[in-house]
Amino acid sequence: MLDLILSQVANGLVLGGLYVLIAIGLSIIFGLLGIVNFAHGAFFALGAYFALTLYNVAGWWAVIFAPVLVGMLGMVVERVLIHRLYDKEPLISLIVTFALALMIEATIRLIWGGIGLPFNPPPLFAGFFIWGPVLITKYRTTVFMTTVLLLIGLWAFMRYTPFGRILRAGSRDPEMVGLLGINLPVLLTAVFGLGCAIAGIAGVLAAPLWTIIPSMSAGAIMPAFVVVTIGGLGSFPGAVIAGLLVGIVTTLTIQFWPEAAGAVMYVFMALILLVRPRGLLGERWERFE
Amino acid sequence: MAETPTAAAALRRRTLLTGATLLGAGGLAGGLAKPFISRAHADEPIRIGLLLAKTGDIAPQTEYLANGTYLALAERGNKIGGKPVELVWLDEPSPQGAQQNFQKLAQENKVVAILGGALSSSALAEEATAANLKLPMIIDNAAATDITGKNCNKYTFRLNTPVAVQARMFAPYALNYGKKWYFLTASYAFGQDINKSFHELLAKAGGTAVGNDEVPLNTPDYSSFILKIRQAQPDVVLGGVPAGDLSTFLKQWNELGMKGKIPVCEIAIGDTDIWAVGPQAATGTYTSLWWYKNPANPPEEVKFTQDYQAKYGKPPADKAWMGWITAKSLFESIEKAKSMEPLAIVEALENWRGGSADNPYMYRQGDHQFLLKNLVVQVKDKITDQWDYFDVKATVPEKTADLDALFGSPEANGCKMTAG
Repeated sequence: MLDLILSQVANGLVLGGLYVLIAIGLSIIFGLLGIVNFAHGAFFALGAYFALTLYNVAGWWAVIFAPVLVGMLGMVVERVLIHRLYDKEPLISLIVTFALALMIEATIRLIWGGIGLPFNPPPLFAGFFIWGPVLITKYRTTVFMTTVLLLIGLWAFMRYTPFGRILRAGSRDPEMVGLLGINLPVLLTAVFGLGCAIAGIAGVLAAPLWTIIPSMSAGAIMPAFVVVTIGGLGSFPGAVIAGLLVGIVTTLTIQFWPEAAGAVMYVFMALILLVRPRGLLGERWERFE
Repeated sequence: MAETPTAAAALRRRTLLTGATLLGAGGLAGGLAKPFISRAHADEPIRIGLLLAKTGDIAPQTEYLANGTYLALAERGNKIGGKPVELVWLDEPSPQGAQQNFQKLAQENKVVAILGGALSSSALAEEATAANLKLPMIIDNAAATDITGKNCNKYTFRLNTPVAVQARMFAPYALNYGKKWYFLTASYAFGQDINKSFHELLAKAGGTAVGNDEVPLNTPDYSSFILKIRQAQPDVVLGGVPAGDLSTFLKQWNELGMKGKIPVCEIAIGDTDIWAVGPQAATGTYTSLWWYKNPANPPEEVKFTQDYQAKYGKPPADKAWMGWITAKSLFESIEKAKSMEPLAIVEALENWRGGSADNPYMYRQGDHQFLLKNLVVQVKDKITDQWDYFDVKATVPEKTADLDALFGSPEANGCKMTAG
């Protein structure tokens, strides 16, 4: 039994890595823009569909091109729609992005059809590693490593580059940043694009594992919200810890009580919020209080 | 600075929760109950309701069901008895939402009959509404046994073979792989029905269940379930996960190196579930009502396949045939009845006959269950065509005379037909 538990914990960490990847873009958009982006799952689905389509044209370069395209689309959406929501009641952004999610899903259905489309991992990543009781596939290991590298890159970008410093300052006091002569709206467009591009990366990496259908966005958006809420709204490290915890809790529940596997992340979220209402690493933000 | 976040945009958790609740409630909003007045006026087109999910993991199947329905209508020049026909398609987002849309079709759109019922959970709710509103309905996809079992009623017909019957048809083939089974079934009506039916059959055969996992619907990751199966080392995995969930499971089954090691068996799948998996990962033995390349298909169905390919540019999935045959049976019955009155349509449906001499089919009077032979299909070892995945292994039962016994009598299935 101990072997199986170890195996499930390792599997939970890898699954958690995917949850982190899905959630991190959502966390960035909320943390820096204050927008609860219900359409995040739809951008995730677009990443998978773009990769599938571009694969037929550009081979595995599609893995890079697809998230870039999603990011660019995100920037267009921000310019056309999202930037109008910054000074509005948060409920408006919730409803508008929910409508946007439905619209993107309907567009996917119109372009690619409703039936599932096949897409499997490249042969290079076929097979698995076995360490004692732990079995992890090469593809999932690759997804996990990609997530780790992406997180390190994002952290360094936000911490050590002028762009990152401006963004962090702007998220706390946008008026002061504006008074310093910085064109914050342009940067916010870039941030929304970045968040969407990360959702696109998650979609590309999940495509060989999940069924590519228009409704795949629904499978991504709820874990993403749970992870961001448990981690603390807008907290980057909080999302990482929460994602890994949700992954482990889910896989252990499958081992011992599979019927509850779908609900356990919500119960876990409720328990965390009872103890820490702002989430694990959530801080008090003046403009959100 | 109008475009930047401001203090005015204060996000309170309570506000957020209220918003989410409102969004959820919005999805449930539908038509309120109004008296059922009339169905079709002489100068209006005949309206027929289509109640099929437009979103969710079942949508890939419903797309084909709808395509088949529209093709059946096009074959008749979009007319019944010389009168134009209009199909009104509403969603079945949940059992409650499906009931509300059923009422809307009946009361606002004034349809004369309804085709639909993709998921068992929704279909069970819809058939109760059909009985209340006295409106004929043919359920074309849902397979839960109770639909034409203890929940049967005068106004509801059902095409798909019930889970319990498919289990009886399929069990001998699953038992060929061995008697140590691992159950992986969805935690709703369809999966629970499969679980119960096969457990009984396995016990009768002297087999054992070495694992029994109920899986939540729309599970995105099966790796932990697969690790448990790998540990249990069963002779066969007996699945009961629907539509897109089955596709996801099979993709991950292959990814974890299990394809070819332990056989996967399931009943009541759709061709689209396997097409979505791709040749690399597809595997398994299944039951199916119809397969477009079955050499035994009668000329009428061969023509349907050709027409479908010409119209949609791809072969029809089993669900397309299911949509087509239910629609055809309804259109022909309305024409024969020469009336829009519900009881006249019901009577005509009870007397409708289709198929060929070798494979005749009809709705049984006692429970309105469609009686037809099922296929046992197996995924080919080598797939070279993006649509041609199956070999037909058997037609069950072999003899038409055995159909009635295999389906079980309406009384034995718990059906007490009420006048409604």
